[in-house]
Amino acid sequence: MKRWRYDSANDVERTPLARLRQFPREPDMLVYGLRSLGALIIRALLRVYNRFEIVGHENLRTNRSLVIVANHCSHLDALCLLAALPLRKLHRAFPAAASDYFFQSVPRLWIAAVIMNALPFARQIRVRKSLSLCQELLANPGTILIIFPEGTRSTTGEIREFKSGIGALVAGRDVAVVPCFIDGSFRAWPKGRRLPRPGKLRLVVGAPRNYRARNTDKIDICAIAAELRDAVNELRQKNGSH
Amino acid sequence: MSPQIALHDPIFRAYFFIVLISLAVGGAVLGFLRMVLKKDTASMFRTYWSWLVIAAIGLLVVFAGRIPTIVGVTLLGVYAFKEFARASGLYRDWWMTGVVYAGIITVGIASLVSHPRGEEPGTGWYGFFVAVPVFAIALILLIPILRNRARGELQRMSLAIVGFVYIGWMFGHLGFLANASNAYGFLCYIIFATAVSDVAAFTFGKIFGRHPLRSEISPNKTWEGAIGALAVSMILPWLLRFSFPFFGVRQLILTGLIVGIGGQLGDLSISVIKRDIGTKDMAATIPGHGGILDRIDSLIYAAPLFMHMAGYYYPLR
Repeated sequence: MKRWRYDSANDVERTPLARLRQFPREPDMLVYGLRSLGALIIRALLRVYNRFEIVGHENLRTNRSLVIVANHCSHLDALCLLAALPLRKLHRAFPAAASDYFFQSVPRLWIAAVIMNALPFARQIRVRKSLSLCQELLANPGTILIIFPEGTRSTTGEIREFKSGIGALVAGRDVAVVPCFIDGSFRAWPKGRRLPRPGKLRLVVGAPRNYRARNTDKIDICAIAAELRDAVNELRQKNGSH
Repeated sequence: MSPQIALHDPIFRAYFFIVLISLAVGGAVLGFLRMVLKKDTASMFRTYWSWLVIAAIGLLVVFAGRIPTIVGVTLLGVYAFKEFARASGLYRDWWMTGVVYAGIITVGIASLVSHPRGEEPGTGWYGFFVAVPVFAIALILLIPILRNRARGELQRMSLAIVGFVYIGWMFGHLGFLANASNAYGFLCYIIFATAVSDVAAFTFGKIFGRHPLRSEISPNKTWEGAIGALAVSMILPWLLRFSFPFFGVRQLILTGLIVGIGGQLGDLSISVIKRDIGTKDMAATIPGHGGILDRIDSLIYAAPLFMHMAGYYYPLR
C-alpha cells in the first residue's frame, strides 16, 4: 500500500501567539466564524451608533483584486471600509496595519489578526518586503487590500501627503485602485481618545482607476501617490461635510 | 455535582489536597534537582508550570459542577480535534471538520440532557450518548455523495471518523462520567491517576530507561518507564480506595490495568498518528507539553474503558 500524503498546516508546531503573528494565516473555521460574527456586530454598531452610510457602493462590486486607498484619522476608518464589503469577501480583505503598533501587544494582536484580518506592514524598516508581500497577495484574484497611504492617523483631520509606496505597489500592475474618503471619523474617534463618540460617519467610494500603463520609476511612483491623494481630496470636496 | 456539594464532598476535598501535595512534592523534587544536584531542569520546570495551570483549571471546573465539567470536556475535545485536523490536513475540508465538530458537540449535549421520556435514571442520555457515532459516521459518509466526488474522499472520511470516534466520542466519556452518582470519585481518580501514570513513566524512563519500548513509534519511551508506570498505576487504586469504596479487588485490579496499560497505549496511539504525519507535537498550545492532544492522549484511551468497566459492575447513575 502506498502512503497517504498528509497536507499539514504549516504552523502546527507554533505557539498560539506565533500563529496569530504569522502571515499569511492558515484558514481556521473558528477564526472565520468569530470574524464574521464580529463584522456583523461592528456593522450594526456603526449603523446605529455612528449613523454610518456609504456613497458609491457600486464601485466596490467586482470579483477581481482591489486596492482600496483612503484617508486615515481614526481606527474607525478600517472598520468602515471593511463594513462596505460583502461578508463572504471578508476573509480575503486585508487592511495593512502597522506591525509595530498592531502586532506587538496581545490584545491588539488578537483584534488585528482575528477580527480585522490585518496584514502586518513594516512601515519603518523592510517596507520593500511588506510591499512585495502585498503584491503576492494581489496576484490571487479576489484579494482586497486596504491601505492608508498617509502611513499613520492624521492628528488634524487634514489629509497628509501619501507615501510613495502606494505608487510602487500599483504602478505597472493590472489592478483596480479605488480611492475612498471617510468623513466624520476624525470627529468620532480621533487619535488619543479612548472610546468613539456617536458622530456621523460617511464613506464615499470613488471610481476605480488602473495604473497598468505607468512606469515603475521614482517619478511615476510619486506622481501616482499624488494623483491618488488628489482623488481622495476631490471626493472630499464633492461629498464632504456640509 | 455543584459547588455547594463539592465543598462538603469528602472525596473532592481529599483530591483537592492530594493534588496540592503532589504538586508541592513535584516542585520540591525539581527544586532539589536544580539547587542541590545542579541538574539542567529548565525544560522540566516549563512542564511543571504548565501542570500547575492545568491542575488549577481542572480542579476549578470539576468544583464548578456537572455542566461546566461537560462543557469543559467538550471544548477540550473540540480543540483536540482541531489540532488533529490541522496536523493531518483534514482542516482544509470544511464540511468534514464541520460535521465532526457538530458530532463532538452532540456528544456533549447527550451527556448534558436527561432521557426525553425519563426511561433512564438521573441525568445524561446514555442510550443516545453511545449511539452518536452511528449518526456522525452516517453524516460523514454522506458528504462525498452530496458533493459528487470520490477522489481522495476515503482518506478524508477515514480521518474524520478516527478524529470523531477517538478524539471526540471516546474522550467525551470523561464528560459523561460527570453524571455518575460517584462522579467526584470517578472523575478525580481517572484524571489524577492518568497524570500520575504519565509522570511515573517519564520519571522511571529517565532514571532507569535502557530498552526502547516501541523504537519505530516513540524513540524516547522505554520498557523501564512503562513497567514503572504500570507498577505505580497498580498501587494507586488501593491508595485512593476512598474514591470508589464499593470496588472489590477485581475492580481495583482492572482500574490499575486500564490506567497503567491503557494510558500508555493512548500515548502510543497518538505517537503513531504523529509519527505517520511527521510532526513532533500536535501543536504548541501548552508550554512544555505540546498540544492539548499530547496532554490528554492517555485520558482518551483510559477514560472510556474505565467508565464501561465501572458501568458493567455497578449502575453508573
